[in-house]
This record gives sequence, C-alpha cells and structure tokens, in this order.
Amino acid sequence: MTLTVILRRLFLSALFLIVHQASADDTAARQLLTKLILGTSDEQAQAVTDLYDYGDPIIKDVISGWRVGEVSVLERDGKKMVLLKTGEGAYLDILTGQSVDPGGQEKISRAKRKLRKKLRRVVDFLDLSSSDPAERIKAVYKLGLSQKADYVEVIRERIDRQKDEEVKAAFQESLSISLLKNGSPEERLQAVNELGGIESFQARDFIETLKKETENEELIQAAEKALAKIDSAQKWTEFYGSIVHGLSTGSVLLLVSYGLAITFGLMGVINMAHGEFIAIGGYTVYVVQGWFASAYGVGSAGYEWYFIVALPAAFLTAALAGVLLERSVIQFLYRRPLESLLATWGVSMIIQQLIRLKFGAANVSVSSPEWLSGSIQAAGLSLSYNRLFLIGFAIFVIFGTWLLLNKTSWGLHVRATMQNRLMASSLGIKSTRVNMMTFAYGSGLAGLAGAFLSQIGNVGPSMGQTHIVDSFMVVVVGGVGNLMGAALSSMGMGMVQQLLQPFIGPVMGKITVLLVIILFLQFKPGGLFPSRSRSLED
Amino acid sequence: MKSYLKGALCAAASLFAGSAQAEDTVKVGVLHSLSGTMAISETSLRDVLLYTFDEINASGGVLGKKIEPVVVDGASDWPLFAEKAKELLVKEKTAVTFGCWTSVSRKSVLPVYEKNNGLLFYPVQYEGEELSKNIFYTAEAVGQQAIPAVDYLLKEGMKKFYLIGTDYVYPQTTNLVLFEYLLSKGIPVENIGGGLRKDSSGKVISAGNYTPFGHSDFQQIVADIKKFSASGDACVINTINGDANVPFFKEFAASGLTSEDCPVVSFSISEDEFRALPAKDLVGHLGCWTYFMSIDSPANKKFVKGFQDWLKKTDVPGVVKENRVTCSPMVLSYNGVHLWKKAVEKAGSFDVDKVRAALQSGISFDGPGGTVTSQKNHHVTKSVFIGETLENGQFEILETMKDVYGEPFLKGTFKK
Repeated sequence: MTLTVILRRLFLSALFLIVHQASADDTAARQLLTKLILGTSDEQAQAVTDLYDYGDPIIKDVISGWRVGEVSVLERDGKKMVLLKTGEGAYLDILTGQSVDPGGQEKISRAKRKLRKKLRRVVDFLDLSSSDPAERIKAVYKLGLSQKADYVEVIRERIDRQKDEEVKAAFQESLSISLLKNGSPEERLQAVNELGGIESFQARDFIETLKKETENEELIQAAEKALAKIDSAQKWTEFYGSIVHGLSTGSVLLLVSYGLAITFGLMGVINMAHGEFIAIGGYTVYVVQGWFASAYGVGSAGYEWYFIVALPAAFLTAALAGVLLERSVIQFLYRRPLESLLATWGVSMIIQQLIRLKFGAANVSVSSPEWLSGSIQAAGLSLSYNRLFLIGFAIFVIFGTWLLLNKTSWGLHVRATMQNRLMASSLGIKSTRVNMMTFAYGSGLAGLAGAFLSQIGNVGPSMGQTHIVDSFMVVVVGGVGNLMGAALSSMGMGMVQQLLQPFIGPVMGKITVLLVIILFLQFKPGGLFPSRSRSLED
Repeated sequence: MKSYLKGALCAAASLFAGSAQAEDTVKVGVLHSLSGTMAISETSLRDVLLYTFDEINASGGVLGKKIEPVVVDGASDWPLFAEKAKELLVKEKTAVTFGCWTSVSRKSVLPVYEKNNGLLFYPVQYEGEELSKNIFYTAEAVGQQAIPAVDYLLKEGMKKFYLIGTDYVYPQTTNLVLFEYLLSKGIPVENIGGGLRKDSSGKVISAGNYTPFGHSDFQQIVADIKKFSASGDACVINTINGDANVPFFKEFAASGLTSEDCPVVSFSISEDEFRALPAKDLVGHLGCWTYFMSIDSPANKKFVKGFQDWLKKTDVPGVVKENRVTCSPMVLSYNGVHLWKKAVEKAGSFDVDKVRAALQSGISFDGPGGTVTSQKNHHVTKSVFIGETLENGQFEILETMKDVYGEPFLKGTFKK
C-alpha cells in the first residue's frame, strides 16, 4: 500500500514534467480524456473503446483520480475545462497540461459506477505492461478470471516477455483459467492438470463449473483430481491461517490483560476500572491523531507518524490516570479486596461518563496510518501489517516486563514488596512508592493495549467493558500472580478460539472456550501456574 | 325530568369540550432510548420528531390543535419500553406514539398497544413477518431494502453472495428470506456463502455467518470471504449491526480486499452511523435505503435545511448540534408524523379507529425521499435507492427504484 502511494506520488510528479512539455502523441489521449469526462453517455462509451489504443500514463492518473474526487470541471468564459488535482490547491488542465488556479470555482466530477467498471478494464489493460510487477500480476488475474475469449491471445503473447518468475507464473495461471472456458478440449485438459499441479485457489470454482458442464470423461477425472488437490491445499492454508489468527487474537488478549496481570495478579487489587484505562489509551490515540491532522493535514507524510507518538502518549496518559487512582482510592484498600472491587467499579463508571461528556456518547473514528494498512500475501494467507505489528509488540511487552522485573533493582523492590510488604518496608524499601509505580506501570500497559485496539476496532466510551471479562479470565486461567502464566493462557485461549471457529462459528466458539475454562478451573483451581503471592487468599 | 337530565348531560359534555378547547393541544408520544447502548441512534429520531412537531405547529397544527410532545426514555431496556408505552397510553392518553428502533423493543410494546388500542409508528428497517392492527410500519420491509439490493447486485453480474450478520432476529430472518430469493433467482447453493444450518428434516433454518453483538475479531470470517471471492464476481451482504462494523471493515480493508474485488452492501449503516466509522475503509461499498441525504430534490433540500436551522435555534436539552446529518430512519419518522397528520385531517378526528381506517385507505405524502403512500397492510409504498459510500460519509445514488410496495410476509414466497 505504501509502495503504491509512493508510486502514485512519483507518477503525479512525473506527470507534471511530462505535461509541461506536452508531446505530440499524448495530445490525442488528452483530448480523448476530456471528451470522456465531459461527454454524454454515448460519447463516453466510444471514448472508453478508443482509450485502448493509447498507452499514456496520464490515462491511468486521470481515471484513478476520477474515482477519488481528484478530477473536477471548471467553467471559465463559457468554456468547460477538466482539471486534475496534483496536490493541495494545485490543479492542471488535462487538455493543455498547464497549471490552473480554479479559485474554488471547480466542481468535483465523478465517474458513474457502470462507466468505472469499463474504465477499470482499460486500466487493467494498461497495467499489463506496467513497470511494477505487482500491478502486472493484479491486472493479468483480472483479465484471466473474467474468462473472456478476447483476452486469451493478449495474455498468451505477453507470457514470454515476462522476466520475473513470479509474474510469469501469474500470467500462466491466468491463461490456464481463461483456457478452461475458451480452449480446445486438449487445451482444457492441459489447463486443468496445470492448475491442479500449482494448487490454484482462484481456479477452484472454474474447474468445478467445467466438471459440471463437460461430458468428456477424461476431463471430468482430471478435474476431480485437480479439485482434490486444491481442496487439500486449501485445508492446510486454513489451518496455518487459524494458527496465525490465533497468535494475533492471543496477542490482543495478552496486551489487554498484561496490565491486569500486574495490578491484580501481583498487587492483588481487583481493578474494575482496568477496562477504562484501555479506553483512555484509545482516546489518547484519537486526540494525538487530531493534533497531527490539524498540524500536518490528513494523508501528509508528517501525519503518518502520529501513531508512533501516540503509543508512548497512551502509555503515559494511562499511567498518570493509574497514579491518580492509586493515590486517591486504592492505597487505602490494599487489604480489602472486596471494597476495592466496588470502589474501582464506581471509578470505572465515572471515567466512562467523563469520556462521554468530553467526546460524546458515539464512538470516534481512528484511522490507521498508511504503513500499518495493507498486508503481506504469503502462501495463500494474507497477514495484515497491523496484526503483525501487534504480535511483535506483544512479544516486546512480555520481554520488556520480564527485564524490568528481573534485571533491574526497581524490579527487585517490586518483587520483594509483592511477596511480603511489611518485611520489604522494614528492610528500607519505600513500599508506598513501589505500589504506586507498579500500579502506574500496569495501567500504562492497559493504555498501550487501547492504542492497539484503536487500529483494529472501536474507540468508544464502553470499549473497556468488552475487554474486562476477558482480561480477568486470562489472569485467572494463567494463575494469579504469574506473568508467564498470563502470557501462555492468553495465547492458548486465542488459539483455541480461532481453531474452533471454522467448525462451529464465532458464537459457539466463544461459548466453548468459556466451558473449557470452567472445566479447567474445576481441576486446577490455581490456574496454569498456581503461585504464592500477596493475593486474594492472604 | 328526562329532558332535564339530558340537559344536564349536555351541559356537562359542553363543559368537557370547553376545557379541551381551552388547552387546544393534542398529546403525542415519543418513545425512544435516550440513554443506554441504543441512545446513539435513537436520540437522532427524537430530535427529528421534535423538529417535525415544531414545523407542523408553526403552520397551524393538526385539526387546529397544537402538538404537545410527551417524550419518554426507553433507556435501551426492553421491558421498560412496555412500561413507558403503558404510561403514554393510560396516563398521558397520547393520540399516537412515534417510537422504537430495535425489533425487540417493538415486540415488547406490541401487546400494550393492542390491549389499549393505541397507535404506534415504527420507523426503522426491520425483518417483516409481523402485522399488528395498532402499528404502522413506515420502516423499510425486507422487500424494500434487501431484495432491491440483491436485484441490483445480480444486475451488476454478481454470481456469489456471502451472508454475514449479527446474531439476532433481524439478520437471521432477512438472510433466510434472501437465501430463498437467491435460490429462486437460480443462484446455486454452493455460491451462497457463510454456511447453512438445517434442522433434523433437512430444512434450512439459518443461512449465513453470525457473530455476537459487539464482536471484534473478524480474522477468520474475512479469510473465509477472501477464499470465497477468489474466483471473482462475489459480494458480501452485511447485516452486522452497530459498532461491530468497525472491526469488520478494518479487517476487510487490511486483508487487501477492495470494493472493486468484492463489494459489501450494508443494511444497517446510514449517514448517521457513518460519523463513527473509518471513512476510508468504507469508500466504494454500497448501501440501500429509502432515503439518502444526497437526494437532489427541492423537498429534500427544504427538509435538510429546515432540520439544520431548527438544530441551531433549539433549546431542547441534550441535542447535539455539531456535524448533524439526516438519514433514512429520521426521514421515515418525519414521514410518519406527516402521514398521521393527513390521516387525522381526512378522518376529522384523533380517534384511533378512524385514523387507522383513513391510513388504510391510502394516504400520500411528498416526503424528502419522494412520495410515500400508506397501504392497507399498514406498510408504506416508497422509492428505494442504492448508493455508494463516498469518503465524506455521504452516498452517491447509483440506482432508484420507484414506488416499491411494502410487503411484510416474504418468507416461503419465493419458489424456484
């Protein structure tokens, strides 16, 4: 995605150069484009057909700009001009290539959906000879999957010109899919075998259709064999997919519950306002996004960095809120878990209402930066960047917390205080300070979780409520007081949920996980790693 | 003696009439959730209703009487809706009520209206399969939203349909109707995605993939859609309700699917919901309603301007004034009030039985979304629009279907 944006920018700046020295051969294309945008529907249809004869990059820019509101029409001195937006407030006349200042008089023009479908074809056609291999692959699949007889030769004659192996394979696959419908019986048979051999997911439905329609015994047998191969490959991909999805669900669970594993697990505070710290993190991202949007403008290069700034900001804001809560309420309730449950529940309502008063009852929308949108396609799986980032960050949080607790003197103080507060303070550790800092750290982690959730889900006043139950579940299953246990139980729960889901659906999947947890706690009431700490039972 | 008594009765009656005359108002109930989970959507309807009453009062009221709104809060609590409905009918004696959003709140108040012979106007798209003599459904029935949307997609050359929704009565019923409809249009079972559930006799009792309210993890479902749409010409019919749409569209966009590979047509996302959605992830996907804010007609311009002017000067507490838009449920509420007004004027009375008879005889009103006409079956004939989402949260209208009849009972009517 990032790449395409950069390419687009390059295209546009290249376009600027080209248009300033408008050459003879692209004037025709320019005239055609102007006709296309201003013309009646009949003229437009004709213009689309004619566009196939040209290969100018400007065609693609105008067509894709037409889709996203970058093409506008300006009426000046009784004449209509078609403008292409090249930047904030910068326009150029498509016909002449001169830059124009419309002075706010321009009217945005949009292609009708029907026309756009046809234009898409033109762009695909142009993309077949694009310099970007990814564009070529995308284009050739589109032409192949349409199974139009006209495209068979178009694709075939381009196969040998492809140097890149991956592109070549895509061309071959598309050709075979197209031949399933348009080829001679021999070609069809060969195409079926080839597609089965490369386990083409795209071809599955087309082979199935062929199998139903044909009466050729040999072809039916070949189709059956190919289908069996593709199906088994698909099963494996689904399985790997479930594991990756399980990891990412586990990472979400881990991030939302790790803070609680510290405040509840280590410190023994039943903090019902944990979910609201998650919400505070989410809203911090929203606020930072707003700052960057007003400072740099949405979509600009500076804006893209807002999330990097928002992460520490979310941590600090939530940590600060944690300090406030600890000083004002929790420090008086360390030995009274039930009272702390009620008090923090009250606090959670107060925070929710404050958020509603400040930001309104409706959810707010947070958009992902470009570098976090998009995905890697690998072996039939698509791994989105924000999920990968999430998994990486979860590992970072586990490792960072481990370092902090086990390799720093602060960590030593924390562990000592958690084991026996009186003994620790008699040895000179300022247990009030340690409590405060530990609670702040746990709350800060919740804020970080909120920042990540803003990328994959909702930011709203009640976003914490949806996660609080999951968080407690993870900590209890993992064993109260054991951070490794929380990490393992969140991964385990994510995995079980995702592996079951394809078979029994999301609703039953969730119920089954709850049932398994109830059974598990019957046999191991202390969780995965029962440990002794200053928690509920003392 | 007899005439004396008669005279006294007459005098008493005129006394009563006199006191009613003095008030010169008619009480009208507004029954929406102003707090709780549904408040986000339903307060907009309260706002537009209050605007409509002010507009009508400014032009002389109904039968010479000013409308006096009685606003009660259902608080997203379904049993409370029934209590509040009873309060409106028995204590306040309102002539009519405009209210409810979720089907479950409507089902909860239905017995109250039937028992007390009240009149309720229901404005939000719903699943059909219901007809009460005490309710008028200005809402979109399945045949006025889901079916036209599918027709449009079929015309666009779509061959595969993936059904996905939130697990409750509206999506389940709608998808079951759509399943039958798609089969009747010659779409083979294997081209309808999302899974089927059958009872022991093999009858399909549920079609599509369902998630709980507030679901947030759509990885597997999007992976499934991606597999389903690999061979092209596929689309998604989305009846997910509420904020679960955000993670769904984010995951959908992140997986590399676009509206050109696989358009999603949603039935629960209107301009009003759009305010909290990530705009760029929705661009190019489709919506189907009987009104869009972008309709280019004098009636709509007047309505939008009137509402926004009203917002500026209103002093009703709790009305949000910034970034307000208009959407289909709001216009259907507005239409409902006007249909009721016209029916009252035709009947010459506020009496529920007379107003009902007038409505059943067919009352027309030129609303912001075109002409609407009430039908004998308590539904409303109106125009249906298919729109495409733009980056500014508005819809560009792609197709208009004029005067679509509202038919609540569709299940089992489509045969191959």
